Amino acid sequence: MLRFEGKDFQLEDGESVLDCLLRHGEQVSSLCRSGACQSCLLRATAGPVPALAQLGLKDAWKQQGFLLSCVCRPQADLALERCDAAMSYATVVNSVTQLAPSVMGVRLARPVDFEFNAGQFVQLSRPGDGLMRPYSIASLPSESELELHVALLANGQMSSWLREAQGKGVSLRGPFGECSYQHGEPDRPLVLAGTGTGLAPLIGVLRTAALHGHRGEISLFHGSPRLSGIYLRGELEALAQSLPALRLFGSLLSGSDDELGAQGRWQFEISPLEQVVFSRYPKFDVHRLFVCGDPSLVKTLKKRAYLAGASLSRIHCDSFAAPHSAVRAPT
Amino acid sequence: MSTSIYDRIGGAAAVDAAVDIFYRKVLADERISSFFDDVDMDRQRAKQKAFLTFAFGGPNAYSGQDMRSAHAKMNLTEQHFDAVMENLGATLTELGVPAELIGEAAAIALSVKGDIVSR
Repeated sequence: MLRFEGKDFQLEDGESVLDCLLRHGEQVSSLCRSGACQSCLLRATAGPVPALAQLGLKDAWKQQGFLLSCVCRPQADLALERCDAAMSYATVVNSVTQLAPSVMGVRLARPVDFEFNAGQFVQLSRPGDGLMRPYSIASLPSESELELHVALLANGQMSSWLREAQGKGVSLRGPFGECSYQHGEPDRPLVLAGTGTGLAPLIGVLRTAALHGHRGEISLFHGSPRLSGIYLRGELEALAQSLPALRLFGSLLSGSDDELGAQGRWQFEISPLEQVVFSRYPKFDVHRLFVCGDPSLVKTLKKRAYLAGASLSRIHCDSFAAPHSAVRAPT
Repeated sequence: MSTSIYDRIGGAAAVDAAVDIFYRKVLADERISSFFDDVDMDRQRAKQKAFLTFAFGGPNAYSGQDMRSAHAKMNLTEQHFDAVMENLGATLTELGVPAELIGEAAAIALSVKGDIVSR
């Protein structure tokens, strides 16, 4: 039996809490429905919380009973409440700029008491209908603004709204995720790979690594259909000034001869991202990996890296899940 | 038996070492990899950890009911079960666990065979 906002619901065999509540017409936000995006967070007020429903949440939240309702399949009675109000921050869109033909840089004023690590993500919701989408934070906590990278999608409700949102109020939930620089290991080799706006959390990791004088080798792999989608190239070259062991690789689907090969510190080739990564790293051992962007690519890279010797505890992933029935357009 | 295998091989830390090796083996084993090829590897790893903790006689929340319902729709055969047992044995051998302890772990795992294999 499930109790939610004073009402009782009967779960069907093997049904998730989210599915049960949606089936009964309750409004609960959700996106990926696979335990990744954390849109469907609820809080248990009574009853045992299945451990698998809290995987990936920070300890303080686990203790408070927060859980991911889409992967929560309780074995015993459970009472739940919404947790929106508890962790919401109000802020404003300061600026919107174009980073690539289909990527916008959206800068928000950082709420004073909002603490995060660069590379973590927030759930951003707009006023009115409360539509919510996850975006990674590319900027450092020392900055007065939060920098998000937003893929402009053909039918994207949030991205088309954000395009004209300068000066408008939005609210944030979070931060979520574990895609951030790990302190205390300045010599560890790092491998960062991502497609499209998967670059945002990776830049967050790189900026933090630069700030802390990381000495180990770092390779960044960014994938996009065309060179124009490999954005912030100059900024990344500049980061290499304080990260001498940084190598930059671009994986393209198409490009002219003069766009390929070595370009400054960058190396571009027409080859799938997976191949570009594993041709340079056939084996992993002590490396720490960060993989972000397209869900199927994240899954493939994570699995291959693990089978190639990487420890799961050192593979940090951020799967940019699209709404579960739709497909996210490549950027 | 006074102490469990779990305690004798080093408790939670030893299970953590074992689970990485074990999961890598089952994921690379063509006979059974599809059952372990979960979208969410961390969640899948947590399940493997629970299984290994169980096989080592450690603290766990496994029940026969959980075992049956978790495996019911997978149509698992004796061959699948044997493949998992092989990988379990190979993992422990790789970690230098003595043969008699491997035998004890295998016996615990075998005790739930009826809850896992479809008949």
